[in-house]
Amino acid sequence: MSTRAVIDISGLPHHEFDTYDPVWWGNNLLLAIETSMFAILIATYFYLRQNFALWPPPVAQLTATLDPLPQLAYGTLNTLLLVLSCGPMILTDKGARQGNRGVCQIGLVICVLCGLGAIVLRSFEFSAVYFRWDSNAYGSVVWFMLGMHMMHLLVLTTESALLAIWIFTREFDMKHRVDIVTVAVYWYWVTAIWVLLYAIIYFVPRLG
Amino acid sequence: MSHEQEQRNISHKKAQKAQKEAHADQGLSTTISDEELAEAMRQEREELEKTWARPGGVWGWFTDTDHKAIAKRYIVTAFVFFLLGGIEAALMRIQLAFPENHFLNPDRYNQIFTTHGTTMMFLFAVPIMTAFGIYFVPLMIGARDVAFPRLNVYGYFVYLIGGLLLYTAFFMNTGPDAGWFAYVPLSGPAYSPGKRVDIWAQMITFTEISALVGAVIVIGTAFKMRAPGMSLNRIPLFVWAQVVTAFMIIFAMPAVMLASSFLASDRLIDTHFFNPAEGGDAILYQHLFWFFGHPEVYIIFIPALGFISPIIVTFARRKIFGYVALVLSLISTGFIGFGLWVHHMFATPIPQMGQSFFTAASMMIAIPSGVQIFCWIATLWGSRLNIKTPLLFVLGFFAIFVLGGLTGLMLASVPLDLQIHDTFFVVAHLHYVLIGGSVFPLFGAFYYWFPKWTGRMLSERAGHLNFWLMFIGFNLVFFPMHQLGLNGMPRRVYTYLPETGWGTLNLIASIGAFVLASGVLVFIVNAVWALRAGIVAGDNPWGADSLEWSIPSPPPNYNFHNIPVVQGRYPIWQATADAPIVRGLNTKKRETLVTSVMDAQPELRFDIPGPSIWPLMVALATAVTFIVGIFTPWAFLFGAILAGITLTCWFFADPNYENKQARETGQKSEHVAPRAELQPKEV
Amino acid sequence: MMGRISTTARLIATLVLALCFAACGGIQNAINPAGPNAENISRLWWLMFYVCSIVFVLVMIALLLALRKRTVEAADRVPVLEPPEESERRRRNVVISLTTITVIVLFVFLIASYSSGRSLRLNDPTKNGLSIDLTGHQWWWEVRYNDVDASNIFTTANEIHIPVGVPVMFSLRGADVIHSFWVPNLAGKKDLIPGKINTIWLQADKPGVYRGQCAEYCGLQHAKMALWVVAEPQEQFNAWRQNQTQQAVSATSDAQKRGQQVFFSTTCVMCHAINGTPAGSNVGPNLTHVGSRHMIGAATLVNTREHLAQWIKDPQTFKPGNRMPQNNLSDADLQALVEYLQSLQ
Repeated sequence: MSTRAVIDISGLPHHEFDTYDPVWWGNNLLLAIETSMFAILIATYFYLRQNFALWPPPVAQLTATLDPLPQLAYGTLNTLLLVLSCGPMILTDKGARQGNRGVCQIGLVICVLCGLGAIVLRSFEFSAVYFRWDSNAYGSVVWFMLGMHMMHLLVLTTESALLAIWIFTREFDMKHRVDIVTVAVYWYWVTAIWVLLYAIIYFVPRLG
Repeated sequence: MSHEQEQRNISHKKAQKAQKEAHADQGLSTTISDEELAEAMRQEREELEKTWARPGGVWGWFTDTDHKAIAKRYIVTAFVFFLLGGIEAALMRIQLAFPENHFLNPDRYNQIFTTHGTTMMFLFAVPIMTAFGIYFVPLMIGARDVAFPRLNVYGYFVYLIGGLLLYTAFFMNTGPDAGWFAYVPLSGPAYSPGKRVDIWAQMITFTEISALVGAVIVIGTAFKMRAPGMSLNRIPLFVWAQVVTAFMIIFAMPAVMLASSFLASDRLIDTHFFNPAEGGDAILYQHLFWFFGHPEVYIIFIPALGFISPIIVTFARRKIFGYVALVLSLISTGFIGFGLWVHHMFATPIPQMGQSFFTAASMMIAIPSGVQIFCWIATLWGSRLNIKTPLLFVLGFFAIFVLGGLTGLMLASVPLDLQIHDTFFVVAHLHYVLIGGSVFPLFGAFYYWFPKWTGRMLSERAGHLNFWLMFIGFNLVFFPMHQLGLNGMPRRVYTYLPETGWGTLNLIASIGAFVLASGVLVFIVNAVWALRAGIVAGDNPWGADSLEWSIPSPPPNYNFHNIPVVQGRYPIWQATADAPIVRGLNTKKRETLVTSVMDAQPELRFDIPGPSIWPLMVALATAVTFIVGIFTPWAFLFGAILAGITLTCWFFADPNYENKQARETGQKSEHVAPRAELQPKEV
Repeated sequence: MMGRISTTARLIATLVLALCFAACGGIQNAINPAGPNAENISRLWWLMFYVCSIVFVLVMIALLLALRKRTVEAADRVPVLEPPEESERRRRNVVISLTTITVIVLFVFLIASYSSGRSLRLNDPTKNGLSIDLTGHQWWWEVRYNDVDASNIFTTANEIHIPVGVPVMFSLRGADVIHSFWVPNLAGKKDLIPGKINTIWLQADKPGVYRGQCAEYCGLQHAKMALWVVAEPQEQFNAWRQNQTQQAVSATSDAQKRGQQVFFSTTCVMCHAINGTPAGSNVGPNLTHVGSRHMIGAATLVNTREHLAQWIKDPQTFKPGNRMPQNNLSDADLQALVEYLQSLQ
């Protein structure tokens, strides 16, 4: 008769929130990648700015010299929308942790609507920047910043929508509750990055 | 307390209980005889084999998620690219063997040297190092699979498609011809018309996505799936090297993604990132590229350092000297590696004060490298050494890499660099550090781990021949290049005038290339022969330590029947007869154990997804996006939609396809009831 | 005629060129310095070379010594997991000492490098030296000598004359893609980057010919984008310079007149300037004094009648992909054109 010491893990769960779950690590590593990308993009913005005496470059028109600063309305509205949308997302996050399906359903729907709103507002932001992507280096880098972040808004909204569909039509199981908490982290990240980009795009030119 | 905290506590308590129970005098199976126990174990293995069975046929090749299968595919694919890159190098050497040679016209030569560099850096070196990580990290830490198996499949297909893209263009005479780093304005729309550079830029996207995916997988696996008892200070140096590399990939790759995207958009949609006429900047490209480019060479080099440690430990038959110093050296090399990039740009108008910082950093990085060399020699010293082929290649590494590192110090100095930059001296340096620092350890790793992959040993005699041909050939090719650089020969020249007197050294280098190539040929013959007729290797032919040697060669699909509990840094050498094992993983569903990052305490029984077609579909969607994106920007919109659809399918697909009903509901996890006679009991 | 270099002299130039290259040292060689910049760097090179060689040899000796104790089959030998304290401590001390020595050596290199760099900068002349604007084109060098007196400004191509012992400031620009100006016997290299201005100064302390070559990959004919720096005594340089500021010699003989007509009636005039004539395009090298240049094709062909004729007829044979088209001229026209161009001393 043989004996062998044993660690019995048969009682362990399959999924857990936060750092327990490999999905948390995967998500945060992807966010680390994207953060690096935005950091380098922001560095590019400042690097190119050194090549310009006036940033953005001035535009001469027949009647007057146009002040080509990016118009604040859409961008500011969008920032407010995103920051406020973190509210329902925080509640959804809590709901997922507590196993409250109803809260998650409503919360995700509101967030998806906010996401769609943000995407629409973002489309208007492109034209609030006076220059096109092919006008000059300023236009190129600002469009790129708006565009890369737009891409994240699209992915974020789609991901939230898919999760919403799942919890409406299938089980509210632990795996997908962990997924909701993961999407929440992504949501906060997209918002935080946007606040930084907003400050840079709209206010660095106004620094004088 | 909140419900959530309650949940956490439950998991915690379970884990603590599990640990406590392991330390109590608890045994496995006291009520049945040894034969019945063996029979029960055999039945479990049968069940595991069925659960973890790999799908067959063509469909199986596209859907298989087994990390070992994917890794082997990466290795074979990368090796094919290595051979292609080598053929390109041979062609270059033929052209340069004589002054004013007409073997290759300038356009062909320029495509060949560009493709050679691009192939070796992006399609061979990084993927093969990733492959070793994907194969061995789970085995060395005691896991049944990687953390994200389907993502792994996606990464491979994206890589394969990227490589096929490049070579299709190359064979159609539209290969990129602006160098492997494609400086603007030469690579911009005005001076590189056509689609050559666009193809290059998009290939970068593919290989970079693949590398990033690999990095996320390595970190996720190494952090969360270690066997209980494998705390941070017990992680094998191989795994440390892979983790450091993975972090470097995560922070470096975005820079090249931006560089290539800016270049592609300057070319396709008329942005002005690099157009000085509209405020753009040619030097911006160099900053973006080299901020990635310098860490890239460490990304290629550091995994090789992770090969060297286990090989030295095995053949010196003693524990490594200076484990902590070696880990800290790996980490600091990774950090410092990000502070070097301007040393590629000393000839630009960047102010010299700023440049001097990079001289200091470029010299400082020699310190951790030196520490590692000293620790390895200290391990070898006085030990009764067994000079098998893997160790021979490691010794070759010492000779070649140290020389390359020393010429690197020369290049680090701004004034000296201004003479030798962009000459054959740099070509010599980079090949000494990359071939010496990565390829030689890689060949050592081939010889060392071939038995584990295939169950057969490679021939030792052929191995020694392989080594000496490669060693001698390599030095014949590249040592003269130091002199050529000092004698005024710049890089990337398709020919040179006879009056320069460079002919003799070039001829020697060209002859050496064929000696080096013959060494590689010996390796191929050795591998093909050994697959059929090599000595059968047991589990542990080298008497090595580290967990991959505790399972059969080749490993079963599920890697470990019972995940071991690690008792020290040397799990096999330090294992006691009554070493604990982990019980409770389901044999009818794919599961592996997830543990905590610091101390590897058991936390979850993690679901491992089975075979799936969706990673391939998403890879194809990615391919359509970026390949059609070479021709029109609308590809990104339409590709995004395709990617969205395929990702949705991936999301909704069942991860445990062989057991569609077995998904847990609510908050309870279903309890695995082990066979009654195998219940843990008091002894 | 004054200043006219005969064919014989050119052949001698070729031979000398070949010998200079082949000689130990050579005229395109970083460790055969002919000026203070290159000399400075060469000293740094030798310091690092000797120290690194010693380090390399010592590491190899250590490695070979470590291999002393050998054995055959070892898979069943008990691995040493607890080596004796004493020997581990000794090893640790050795590793720490070696690491310290490494740090010290690196510091020596760092200081040597910095001081070399500083002296390259400190001696940076800001006035009274010669000032040249060098613009890199695919695949030739546009050389413009500056002067406060506008009448002394002139443009030439691919051949730079400098007086011995006088520092020369180069202002570097790229016209199309990035090139790199490298004359190894005289100085390190600096890149010519479109949209940026880079500067380098150099000085030749010995008279002679020094060959430079573009050192940044710039396309199809990067390999054949070279230049000559001719260092000569001050008087000779002054005479050369004086000549270069003059407008082109007028065509005198019939052949030369015919050659000039050919020049103006074909594509030549679209790209090349000859000062004093209506030809003023600066797409290609300035030909005002092309007859006095030792080499053509950016220092890749010796400037003889035959070479010039072959070059004009089909430059693609010598430098495939370069921007000069083939010219299908009759033999007579070609000879006349060559006659004319050779007369432009």
